[in-house]
Amino acid sequence: MRRSTAAAVGTLTGAALILGVRLSVQPPSAPAEAAPAAQEVTEEPAPAQTSAAAKKPAGSSPAKSSPAKSSSPAKQKETDPAQDAGGLKTGTYQGKAVQNPYGTVQVTIKVTGGKVASANATYPKTGFSGTINPAAVSKLNQAVLKTQSAKVDTVSGATFTSQSYATSLQAALDAAGA
Amino acid sequence: MGTVVSIELADDLPEPRLRELVAGTCAWLHEVDARFSTYRPDSEVSRLRRREIRPADCSPDLRLVLDRCADLWRETDGYFDAYATGPLDPSGYVKGWSVEVASARLAAAGSTRHHINAGGDIRMRGAGPDGGPWRVGVRHPWQADKLAWVLAVRDGAVATSGTYERGAHVWNPRTAAPATGLRSVTVAGPDLAVADAYATAALAMGEPGLAWLAERVAEGYESAAVTDDGRAFTSPGLPEAA
Repeated sequence: MRRSTAAAVGTLTGAALILGVRLSVQPPSAPAEAAPAAQEVTEEPAPAQTSAAAKKPAGSSPAKSSPAKSSSPAKQKETDPAQDAGGLKTGTYQGKAVQNPYGTVQVTIKVTGGKVASANATYPKTGFSGTINPAAVSKLNQAVLKTQSAKVDTVSGATFTSQSYATSLQAALDAAGA
Repeated sequence: MGTVVSIELADDLPEPRLRELVAGTCAWLHEVDARFSTYRPDSEVSRLRRREIRPADCSPDLRLVLDRCADLWRETDGYFDAYATGPLDPSGYVKGWSVEVASARLAAAGSTRHHINAGGDIRMRGAGPDGGPWRVGVRHPWQADKLAWVLAVRDGAVATSGTYERGAHVWNPRTAAPATGLRSVTVAGPDLAVADAYATAALAMGEPGLAWLAERVAEGYESAAVTDDGRAFTSPGLPEAA
């Protein structure tokens, strides 16, 4: 016999508390067609919008979420935080709103001391907000979720309870291999 | 809470030897449970929680676990948090780490082809039963008997975190509310403990976790995620089976 399969039941994970209720087990209606995750959004403020920019209060700290990895032309080294000469003008700039399949994406950048302090992309329709890097989103490809029934050696899934293991695909595989 | 560990050895070794190897692996996993369980009052973790021992007095294994939890807390912007539920609970790291150690010990003992599946998180080594890569199904987040993806992995780990199995048990530390937005996150990469921590952190982040996952690709961790409303996302390098 070349294969040996064993299942050990233990209390390996002192898992987090089970709180809240189970989410619906009804599969949602999947989007009708595959769509790109997000479109590239330009982060450079349009010059015409500069005048409308809100003044940023002096000494205000940049947004504390992820550091701004922006493709903005703010290459200049910052010498004095209060000074923005030679760099970008202090203020908040809003990029052009771009439609994508699940909402309008609008990128806002905040400039302090000639550098981009934060970049925010908002996805108003889905509540997808916060500081993100739009280019990174587009690196994950969206597709319609498929169902597959293929021969596999093992199954990865959210940690089952000892009870739910009994009815899992993995249990069926273990039974078949034992 | 208990979980189930499945071990498969595909090595061409005599059956008594295979049984010894499996028994040794089970003994190690039970040892880990005895030492690190938060449910056993006499475990080292429980004693540390009660401050009967100081972090400096802990075993090298527990000190390593605590250090790695701290590293991952930083690497995940605080979304992987061994203190998410209050007192120290390093289980989220211990599971993947103990399986990594188990796989390394199996390799040292002569098993070059095996997989260990601990409650849906898997470490593979070498070729699978048919000589090719191991075929890893990723459970469909709504249909327990169906798969959403099939991955082909030779040496590496696949971990999945989801809200579908045990309800909304992952917390978003920023909002102090159950994580919403993503129903299932699968991460494939070299180290199971890291893959597991990344999957849990992304789930806690919700949809912004998609962008965060995309940044992990540079570190060698590919991902597949499903949103609460059924949209599926994969990183371009996800090792999907042909």
